[in-house]
Amino acid sequence: MTTTSRRTLGIVLAVVSLIWLIPSYLMVVNAFTPGAEYSGAPAWWPTSMSLFDNIGIAFANANVGQGMLNSLVYALVGAGAAVLIASLASFAVTIMPVRRPTLWFWVIYVGTILPLQAFLSPLFTGYAAASLFDTQYGMLLVYVALTIPFAFFVVRGHMTGLPTEIREAAALDGAGYLRMFLRIHLPLSTSALMAAFVFQFTWIWNDLLFGLTLSSSSNIRPVMATLADLTGSYSTYGPPVALAGALVASLPTLIVFFSFQRFFGRGLNPTA
Amino acid sequence: MSLSQPVTSAPQAELDAVPSKAPVRRAPFRSRAAAAGFLAPAVVLVVGLLMVPFAFTVYRSFFDDNGFTRTFTGFDNYTALLTDETFGQSLLNTLMWVVGTLVLPVGIGLAIAVGTWKLRLGALARFAIVLPYAISGAATAVVWTFMLSTDGGLDAMLRSVGLDGLVQQWLLQWPLNTVMMIIATTWQATGACVILFLVGLQSIPPNTLEAAQIDGASGWRLFWNVTFPQLRPMTIVVVGISIVGSLKVFDQVLLLTNGGPGTASETLALTMYRETFTLSRYGSGAAVAVFLTIVVVVASYAYLRRQLRPEPK
Repeated sequence: MTTTSRRTLGIVLAVVSLIWLIPSYLMVVNAFTPGAEYSGAPAWWPTSMSLFDNIGIAFANANVGQGMLNSLVYALVGAGAAVLIASLASFAVTIMPVRRPTLWFWVIYVGTILPLQAFLSPLFTGYAAASLFDTQYGMLLVYVALTIPFAFFVVRGHMTGLPTEIREAAALDGAGYLRMFLRIHLPLSTSALMAAFVFQFTWIWNDLLFGLTLSSSSNIRPVMATLADLTGSYSTYGPPVALAGALVASLPTLIVFFSFQRFFGRGLNPTA
Repeated sequence: MSLSQPVTSAPQAELDAVPSKAPVRRAPFRSRAAAAGFLAPAVVLVVGLLMVPFAFTVYRSFFDDNGFTRTFTGFDNYTALLTDETFGQSLLNTLMWVVGTLVLPVGIGLAIAVGTWKLRLGALARFAIVLPYAISGAATAVVWTFMLSTDGGLDAMLRSVGLDGLVQQWLLQWPLNTVMMIIATTWQATGACVILFLVGLQSIPPNTLEAAQIDGASGWRLFWNVTFPQLRPMTIVVVGISIVGSLKVFDQVLLLTNGGPGTASETLALTMYRETFTLSRYGSGAAVAVFLTIVVVVASYAYLRRQLRPEPK
């Protein structure tokens, strides 16, 4: 590449990055404006240091704190359980003598194709009938079911790539399936398991639809549903409070995402 | 684009590529029972919580159902949809989303990944673009409501540079509102495309690129003739995710315009949601859901089938 074209590329990239940062910047700056003083026009420079007051208001009045705690439980336990269950199934269809492994693959995988709204209403009715509506147990159950298919897709893809000699050696040693799974295949799949976990953690944390539909009380509602309430009540608290709440609610995924980022490449890329 | 519910890549090709297992001898009963035990939790959960409710939705789409009484009406819900103007609008919007998210997040994501790949300060540009992807959808909606509301961030920005003439009611007129929502989604979703394309770039053997460079290929020609063809497997994944994600788009529209003004910016997922949960027309909502599912399945099947055919040599 010539120097001129390299320089042009650099300038274009710098401009694009700056444009990209504007909304994030505005989000942070305006979270500092006191909610009550908000004039209707967004600020370009921090005018005061009310960030913590705004966070306080969001936590006190819209239950953002409780929502985050709920979501943390759902995302950690839900994604963990989904990845474990998905890897059991992956082990079954790749290693064990299952008849029609392709059929079972599709039975589980189809969950990623169906539009979520298509089973929302019956699920709601079923939940109401089974007294699962607005319970922590019910939320966990639906999140696990929703995240299994994609986790299965990732982990199964990885297990397919493991050399078959491993299985044969283990079988010669007389290892049972459970031992083989726990001692050999699970440890060898760490990167895929991590990638699946991070994606599913992020997905559950960011879910709005099921949170809005299947829960109503504040000690059950996940954080995105609480945030939506906060956006809806703009007039009461003002945008800075909603922004401050959104900012705090984004921290867990930011942390998880950037600390696990290096696993993505290895876990998802079948050739790695 | 949500990365977690995508129809992704190429399950079928991958399955075909797997050396088929040794001719299926009847496995001893014990190991088949064990296999069932390993499979059961996933199958029970997916079937019980996703497929059974979906089957019920299909069933319900043939009834006039207000939540209390239910009368069989055959295909009436479907024919009613086809003559409904709101539904046509919703279909048009959904199509705009599909095209828009293919051009913007996928296109920009590819450009950024390829452009920053070998650059020393490229990681900085990538950080700026990946950052919004890690921010939650609801948070994104807060920011963009703020940016796009009348006299909000964007208007203030335009005024400050003297472009008062461009000041708009961004979310209150169609088709501008749909376009702006696609741009907002682009801001958030491009990061995921960048990551996936980077993964794809890393799997290109370096010697192919070096050989092409020695042959004098550079810049656009290098990209078009060498890099892009080698990125094909990942491009298929990204485009597949993008199509399915945009057909199902929901959160952004619900939070930014709630489908409004009126129903002008509704997408299929939103129409389904409104019919079912706001109007309590369960049968009609179910028909939209089934229609949407058919579109998603047909689109992903048609796309994957075309893309997964082995390349003609």
